[in-house]
Amino acid sequence: MKKLIFLFFVITLAGCEYELSPWETDAHCPGVSVEENLARLAAFEEANSKPDSFKVAIIGDPQQYPGAFEDTIKHINTLGDEVHFILLVGDLAETGIKAEFEWMCKAMSKSNIPIIPVIGNHDSISFGKDIWLDTFGEFDFYFTYFNTRFVAYNDNQYEFGEAPDREWLRESAEAVAEDGQPVEHIIGVSHVPPWDDNLGFDAHMSDSGYELTIHGHESSFDYWEREDVGLPHYITTQNRDPGFGMLTVYAGADMPLQVDNCSRDCLITTSRVIGIPSPQ
Amino acid sequence: MNLRLIVLLSVFMAVPQWANASYLDLQSGSLMGMVHASYGDSFFDNHHFSGGMGYVPKLDNHAEMTLFSLRYRYQNPYRFNFNVGGHDLQLSPVNFGTSLLYGKHSDLFLELPDQYPKGYYKPTALRIIFNYQSILHISDKTEVYFDISVLDVGLITYVREPEFFMDNYDYLGLEGITNWGFGLRRHF
Repeated sequence: MKKLIFLFFVITLAGCEYELSPWETDAHCPGVSVEENLARLAAFEEANSKPDSFKVAIIGDPQQYPGAFEDTIKHINTLGDEVHFILLVGDLAETGIKAEFEWMCKAMSKSNIPIIPVIGNHDSISFGKDIWLDTFGEFDFYFTYFNTRFVAYNDNQYEFGEAPDREWLRESAEAVAEDGQPVEHIIGVSHVPPWDDNLGFDAHMSDSGYELTIHGHESSFDYWEREDVGLPHYITTQNRDPGFGMLTVYAGADMPLQVDNCSRDCLITTSRVIGIPSPQ
Repeated sequence: MNLRLIVLLSVFMAVPQWANASYLDLQSGSLMGMVHASYGDSFFDNHHFSGGMGYVPKLDNHAEMTLFSLRYRYQNPYRFNFNVGGHDLQLSPVNFGTSLLYGKHSDLFLELPDQYPKGYYKPTALRIIFNYQSILHISDKTEVYFDISVLDVGLITYVREPEFFMDNYDYLGLEGITNWGFGLRRHF
């Protein structure tokens, strides 16, 4: 009997974590930071010649459904070499606690390609901001991949007050990449689509050179632009819908971008081609 | 920090002097704080209710925080006896409970802050915890226990998508949602 009791406690201890409260901040998430994933992306870019086009999967709002998120990631793994990386447009967590992030990290670890995340409003509550900084890195960052600049920015206005940082967004839309190569496309990526009360934001983004912005948050596919500015905004659905978006970037500044609404099985897509930007 | 700890321990030590307490409970871990002191009573033999206060000091992975709880536990009357080193002990292997936990901190809220539209978030300071305890009765009045807990969102997510947890975690996936702690309970 003593052995049985001892065995029970050993098994139980091995299977649980000693947690002081729901609000701990040290999420166990190896390999998911933006820095690590950008390094993987840079290594791929370095090892390969520039393709005529590449695809980027866009997943939004997987909160509270890590299984559906994992299914989508595994499905994207089967789509072949055309999909170069995944943009994860926020709301990994629902209540901003460590456990929720860890489940999502577990799902992210199944991806064969880099996943670049941006912070969502639900990720920012409780102690989510601390967890995000520790696990994924900065809230605002940009990178250039095969001459396309992706600017990931925090626009969770309720949780951060001053977001988004317009001046930083303008500075990040430089027309020359870090390696001196020209930037052919500039794409903004954030969780929340442009806020109605953020007057002049679209014009600011368009004037800065952005061709397209990509978002989540609204839990359904959407695509819109203000008539007076003409900067398109693409919104992907919540992942458990199920669905994700697909961005296709064609090489060359005079070539368009394309976004598709994609069901999990990719049997039905609604494609939109974003025109060549007018000269500024 | 030290003052809070002294107050906490004082409550734990002082209650027997003035209260007709059924039991006092001191727990660590299992989502209830580094230390959590509760005072409770028993109803209908097997049902136990308690209220408590816990504390987590400032750590690398945790903000300093005071916790408050209301707890219920069903203690199954089944016990089995065994002997260790000449001491007769009893083990109550199957006991279940639930706790309402409130975390007091400026980053958490019970009432939605003004900047949010109504109903935008549920309270972040309030959590429900489900727990299992295995209780070792050292004497008639003193028991120690091992506690395994599951947070509200853990239970919900596990029920929604058990395959995810079974595929990714051990012990039927429960490794992904459970936490452990331990405690001492003294009856009066």
